[in-house]
Amino acid sequence: MKTKRYERLNETLYYEQLDNGLEVYILPKSGFSKTYATFTTRYGSIDNEFRVPGKERLKVPDGIAHFLEHKMFEEEEGDVFAEFAAHGASANAFTSFDRTAYLFSSTQDVARNVETLLNFVQKPYFTDENVEKEKGIIGQEIRMYDDDADWRVYFGLIANYYHHHPVKIDIAGTVESISKITKELLYECYETFYHPSNMLLFIVGAVEPEEMMELVRQNQAKKAYDKQAPIERFYPDEPATVARQRSVVHLPVGIPKCLFGFKDKQVGLTGEELLKREVATEVLLDILFSPSSDLYQKLYDAGLINSGFGADYSGEPQYGFSMIGGDTKDPDALVSMVDTELKSVLAQGIDEEAFTLSKKKKTGEFLRALNSVEFIANSFTKYRFGGTDLFARADILEAMTFEDVSARLKEHIDFNQFSVSIVTSPEQ
Amino acid sequence: MNELSFISHEQEGIGVHILPTQKFKTTTILVHIQLPLTEELVTKGALLPNVLQRGTEQYPNPAQLQRHLDSLYGAIFNAGVMKRGEKQIIQLYLEIANEKFLADSRPLLEEGIRFLGEVLTRPLLESGAFAKKVVELEKETLTKRIEGLIDDKMRYANQRLTEEMCKEEPYRLLAYGIREQIPQITPEDLYAFYQDVLSSYPVDMYVIGDVQPDEAASYLHKYIPLTASGTKKVPPTTYKKAVTKEHTVTEEMSVAQGKLNIGMRTQIGYADNDYVHLMMYNGVLGGFPHSKLFMNVREKASLAYYAVSQLETQKGLCMIMSGIETANYEQALTIIKEQLDMMKRGEITDIELNQTKAMLTNQLRETRDSAAAIASMDYNGRLSGRRRSLEEILDGISRTTKEDIARVAQKVEIDTIYFLCGKEEAK
Repeated sequence: MKTKRYERLNETLYYEQLDNGLEVYILPKSGFSKTYATFTTRYGSIDNEFRVPGKERLKVPDGIAHFLEHKMFEEEEGDVFAEFAAHGASANAFTSFDRTAYLFSSTQDVARNVETLLNFVQKPYFTDENVEKEKGIIGQEIRMYDDDADWRVYFGLIANYYHHHPVKIDIAGTVESISKITKELLYECYETFYHPSNMLLFIVGAVEPEEMMELVRQNQAKKAYDKQAPIERFYPDEPATVARQRSVVHLPVGIPKCLFGFKDKQVGLTGEELLKREVATEVLLDILFSPSSDLYQKLYDAGLINSGFGADYSGEPQYGFSMIGGDTKDPDALVSMVDTELKSVLAQGIDEEAFTLSKKKKTGEFLRALNSVEFIANSFTKYRFGGTDLFARADILEAMTFEDVSARLKEHIDFNQFSVSIVTSPEQ
Repeated sequence: MNELSFISHEQEGIGVHILPTQKFKTTTILVHIQLPLTEELVTKGALLPNVLQRGTEQYPNPAQLQRHLDSLYGAIFNAGVMKRGEKQIIQLYLEIANEKFLADSRPLLEEGIRFLGEVLTRPLLESGAFAKKVVELEKETLTKRIEGLIDDKMRYANQRLTEEMCKEEPYRLLAYGIREQIPQITPEDLYAFYQDVLSSYPVDMYVIGDVQPDEAASYLHKYIPLTASGTKKVPPTTYKKAVTKEHTVTEEMSVAQGKLNIGMRTQIGYADNDYVHLMMYNGVLGGFPHSKLFMNVREKASLAYYAVSQLETQKGLCMIMSGIETANYEQALTIIKEQLDMMKRGEITDIELNQTKAMLTNQLRETRDSAAAIASMDYNGRLSGRRRSLEEILDGISRTTKEDIARVAQKVEIDTIYFLCGKEEAK
């Protein structure tokens, strides 16, 4: 077992890659009552076409990664939630574009709960009957999101950005696409993506590292896995341009929702380069759109935004885009004012003092985030899959220069890459 | 767990509660002001914190105020209202980095409390009232916020159920106030209201983090000098109300999914001995993925993605929520009622009982890892007039029997069934 010490943050991380390929990370947190663990596969909604060397290339229905996540909770002996509940653990799971994570938190019987987590995720049980039954439940989950204006405006913008890339597809799929899911397809996806060499276990909280690592080693040693060559994943060619500049969806809402932003032209960054771009973009968006910015002030004074207005960036090896906006009484007026103001920032450049302030703010924000064991486990895993280190963020931020962010301004705020998504009431 | 106890000091309606702990890398500071939930006060109560957080004497506009927070290593500040039973609580929240973890050694705790004091006691004024422009803008923002309630159908259905069920009780009111009252509020009215709030209603202040209690208390006294508070009494929440008949309300809207929400009265308040048993009741019924509602409405019948129940702690209500196809209304309602009848008959398995105990215990212990949750639990106790330690609640849970739960279930009655349904399918 190796250790990594982060002096400034007063944290020590323990890690090991097991013989079967599983990466295990343990971060003890003194004074915490609870332990939080995530067991994550590098498999999400975008991975819908793939091949394991020696096998056939396969294209699977949209929403299958999420469907699989639901079905993992059912075991031959019964429901996994019950097993966790018997030992006071609150369990859950989520599927994102590029990950599926299974997790629990508990303040007691941690060793037992870690075993349960490993065992249920490593033991699929799909039948024709339980697969059919799940279609009703997920169908209602999809319907719930159909009514969710915030979700619709968010996916509306991603669909505007992307011509072909599967990031534009709803994570849960559609009622139609999930109707094609069978237990055979689920097993196929499971065998491919739930191999330990494609997964990461992160345990954070009230734990003793050596004891916990030994428990995981022994648990994994009992299970037989053949070596698996790296999975090939296929994604369609995606033009750099946006697919649509504007979309409007009608739903009964009290106040229209408007999100807009820019699609990155350059993709394929990994490791430190990717992390640097992410941090630079976050600082940039903070300077441009946070409540301390001139633009925010103007929009607020014009009554075009409320305190829910915000800006966010997603930057992964495959795709990158910003998402800015919130509720507004007048989406067109909002976009027009943003357009004018950003063009003037592009001409004049950003303010150096705002840059210094924003860096400071981001430093405090990161410290605060480290109070949350959930944030640590989920973000660490996400960064590790992207080939970077969550805790290195602090150093990258510290080293970030005014020139870095100015360069990012010119690169990212490109109106050829701009799109806007609106959800509004039919009568408005 | 005993290490987490507040050092509290109360005088003339001002409570100061400090919890020194090394668990967090930041310090959390909260100010709570308690108002009765009434038609007369609620809208001004909602507007006031929004106006206060838009500017002060020293930081006259939001950008300046925000830049000051940014310079304090991105301190998080917000002000707003929440509903706790039939009380409206004005809350100011500040979370600030602990300088121990920074290269800088600026005294951030003192800066943080000074800032809260500035917001609360030195607002931006013009000609003896709040600035007109700020008040007008915040009136519009509050109006939009109330109108936007409908955007979240789950919350909307819950609020509509509450309004129907508590027609004649203050609890029907939304914490954000009454939309129709907003246009009439003037900067002068609001300023008079503000002065009344600061001088007349109970205030509780919390500091949680790696702090010296004496030092933190002295900053609170220095920068938030409230002295004559608490002269007005805030009446306790009424939670006993007999149910005479079951009401049904249906509302149509163009939605993809119907929302079936059921409001029940339990006749049990937070301060009652049976409260812990009520927590167990709710846990067995619908608090968790192993609970009766989840297992039967979702897992067995495949009718819903979510089917849960939750307690409105101070008001003694238990609310069931579920999202279903409009056409499945009768079937879902029948299954839910079957679960309620089983609760009344004490048909609870050992497994359900023990899993619920383990889950509730875990949930409560986890609150110890969040500064805001620690403060919230202490404050809920103060509002209800009975503070329980975590140990006391955990002990009560471990000793709860099926008979205790069945006894509580006998008191629980459906008051109102509310169904928000899709337009086309309803016809």
